[in-house]
Amino acid sequence: MSVPNCMRCLTRPSAVATAALRPFTVPVSVSLTAAGRVAAFSTTPAQQATPQKGSKTPAGRMDARIKRMANGHVRVGKRLHVGGKKGGTRPKAPLPGERKAYRKRIQLSNSNALPVKDLAELDGEHMLSEKNVAKVLSLPTAVIDQLRTVEAFKPTQTWGLFRDPSLLIRPETVDLMNRMQDSVANKQTLRLVIDGDKLTGKSILLLQALTQAFLKDWIVINIPEAQELTAACTEYAPIPGTEPVQYMQQVYILKLIQAIRKANEKVLSRLTTAYAHPELPQHIPVSSPILALANAAKEPDSAWTVFSALWKELSSNIRGRPPILFALDGLHHIMKISKYRNAAFDLIHSHDLALIKLFTDYLSGQASLPNGGAIIAATSRNNCPVSASLELALEQRLATQNGEEPPAKKPYFKGYDSRVEGAMKSAQVLRIKGVSKLETRSLMEYWAASGLLRTTVDEVAVSEKWMLGGNGVLGEMERASLLTMRL
Amino acid sequence: MPPRLNITPVCRTLAFRAKPLNQLPQISIAARAQARCFSDQTDGTVPQQPAGQLNPLSLPALGETKPDNTVNQQVEPEVPENHQDSNAAALHYLQLVAYGVDPRDPAVEGHKFGLPELPLPSEKHVKHRYDPIIDQMTRLLMKDGKLGKAQRDMAMILNYLRTQPPPRLNPARPLVPGHPAPSHFPLNPVQYLTIAVESIAPLAGLYRFAGLAGGGKAMEVPVPLHARKRRRIAFNWVLDTVKNKPSKGSGRAMFAHRVAEEIVAVVEGRSSVWDKRQQAHKAATASRANLNDARVKAFGLV
Repeated sequence: MSVPNCMRCLTRPSAVATAALRPFTVPVSVSLTAAGRVAAFSTTPAQQATPQKGSKTPAGRMDARIKRMANGHVRVGKRLHVGGKKGGTRPKAPLPGERKAYRKRIQLSNSNALPVKDLAELDGEHMLSEKNVAKVLSLPTAVIDQLRTVEAFKPTQTWGLFRDPSLLIRPETVDLMNRMQDSVANKQTLRLVIDGDKLTGKSILLLQALTQAFLKDWIVINIPEAQELTAACTEYAPIPGTEPVQYMQQVYILKLIQAIRKANEKVLSRLTTAYAHPELPQHIPVSSPILALANAAKEPDSAWTVFSALWKELSSNIRGRPPILFALDGLHHIMKISKYRNAAFDLIHSHDLALIKLFTDYLSGQASLPNGGAIIAATSRNNCPVSASLELALEQRLATQNGEEPPAKKPYFKGYDSRVEGAMKSAQVLRIKGVSKLETRSLMEYWAASGLLRTTVDEVAVSEKWMLGGNGVLGEMERASLLTMRL
Repeated sequence: MPPRLNITPVCRTLAFRAKPLNQLPQISIAARAQARCFSDQTDGTVPQQPAGQLNPLSLPALGETKPDNTVNQQVEPEVPENHQDSNAAALHYLQLVAYGVDPRDPAVEGHKFGLPELPLPSEKHVKHRYDPIIDQMTRLLMKDGKLGKAQRDMAMILNYLRTQPPPRLNPARPLVPGHPAPSHFPLNPVQYLTIAVESIAPLAGLYRFAGLAGGGKAMEVPVPLHARKRRRIAFNWVLDTVKNKPSKGSGRAMFAHRVAEEIVAVVEGRSSVWDKRQQAHKAATASRANLNDARVKAFGLV
């Protein structure tokens, strides 16, 4: 190590030492003599020396523009600026993530919209009865919070225009809710895929299923955007001891556990654990509350272990365990090769990601929920990667359900995926289309009562919007009547 | 050059007698519809008629009309009431009711959707279906000729305006007289935007006479502006301000939201557009004296 001060420097006073030791009083004689010429060295204390470049004081800013020559001469304002930008103040750019947060924020209420009178609040029975078809009902506040927690609302939906979030009951809704109800009564697993054209209301139907599950005190697990799991935008790591290797997505799963815990707090607080989980980082004795188990997930590294333990508890064949709804939106994204890569730099199939594997195991019927429940996936047709096997499987299941001959594979096409076929081999398909004119009328009356549709709702108006919306496609009707320049 | 021999005057002298056709037996529309060949019936056979019904397809052609008395004889036997026909008519009426049309109204009898009200309201015309101010502002939003995108932007602006809380007006920046209470603004976003644009529209512009002020300088003369041009200037001021504002987010709604925020700022009197308007008015006032210039008067501008 070198000595900080060389021996020669020790012979004369150093700048720092003099500044610290020298008293602030300046000898008059020195200052007077220094007035007329540039001093060889300054006797001014260090505190009064020229300010640092770029400091915030006015003198500092001035100093930034001053050019000092080697002989001590100071050039001020002698540089010629031609063209170029005058150093104007730029406004502060948003912080990382702020722009996306602004784009993705969800507003569920518009205080300008008129409150709709006589709007009944949904309860657990409304969506089970045929006679409520074509009625608009509002969501209870408690369920709104739960749905928000599981991210069931999407930023592209028009919740922000109305006073309170409300739902239109469709025949498909009643059908789905009754199937869910039957699955609990028969202790079976409802395995279902919601499909349909763009903007026909697939995500809303899924939201209705989530609503019903919350109202009926099911345990709800929701994956709001399947593409977040396969687009390689969240961390992943191989799960040790799995063959073939599976991958966990720690950060995503930690967030998922927190969402499950928060949304299902009421149900989970009643349940206690039935197994010892020695693999957990924290000791959770048998018959301790399940919320404590969910709380054990503090670090992303232990998230998958905790999630496996939680799933084992919830899906175990124990009396009194509530039914489970496991929902996923954007099915096409998990029916393809993911963007992740393994150690050999090969692409990983989506079904090798542990969370997705869990979902597809239940969707295919390999595993089942002993206390009943539903595994529901919705396709997304706007953001829809090509998956020939999934499309074929959907067509085949539909044809079988209608008692027709299922379409065959194309003989020379190589793009089929046997794992996707396996996952989809026995799921039910619910294909939704446009709504009827009666439902359109009910919806338009709701819009008009909210003050957002400024026309008389008669048969002519209903027919017009129904037709403009591609024979009752909900999203298109919204576009034609709410998101238009003709208000 | 027109041909010398024109056939039209010759045709005019020909007499057409419509009388025999008028005297043909009147057959109900439903009966005609029933008597038509089905389009999928390729052999051309006519479906069998109920007894006592006249087959309209077997009617004599126009040229070979028989004398009146024979026709009358054919019609005179009373046709028994056909229940199917009356049902069809009733069903037709019901369908009209379902379309929201009063079938008893003589004006709409025989029309599926009734007759249009005349003169045609502007929103029924495909080129004038939007509010004129909204239409003009949309075209000012347009870039690279993408009208569809501009229209979507305008729709998002209007939707933003109706989700914002009612504006708090600034008495120092009065809006156009006669505007409704601010609590009414958000539920009528078209009116909201109109009031904002009309309020900041400058009253006068400057006409520059090149070289008239001497020394190569232009002489500026205030001129009144048409409503359309006033709105154009006002909205362009808004767009200029928006262009210099930083964007808070990303995505397709961002531009529309920035414009809409500026509209709200205009109505609340926070926008710098008000200063631009004041400057424009000052410049117009200062150059009033130039109106007295003889050369300007000779030009006949005002």
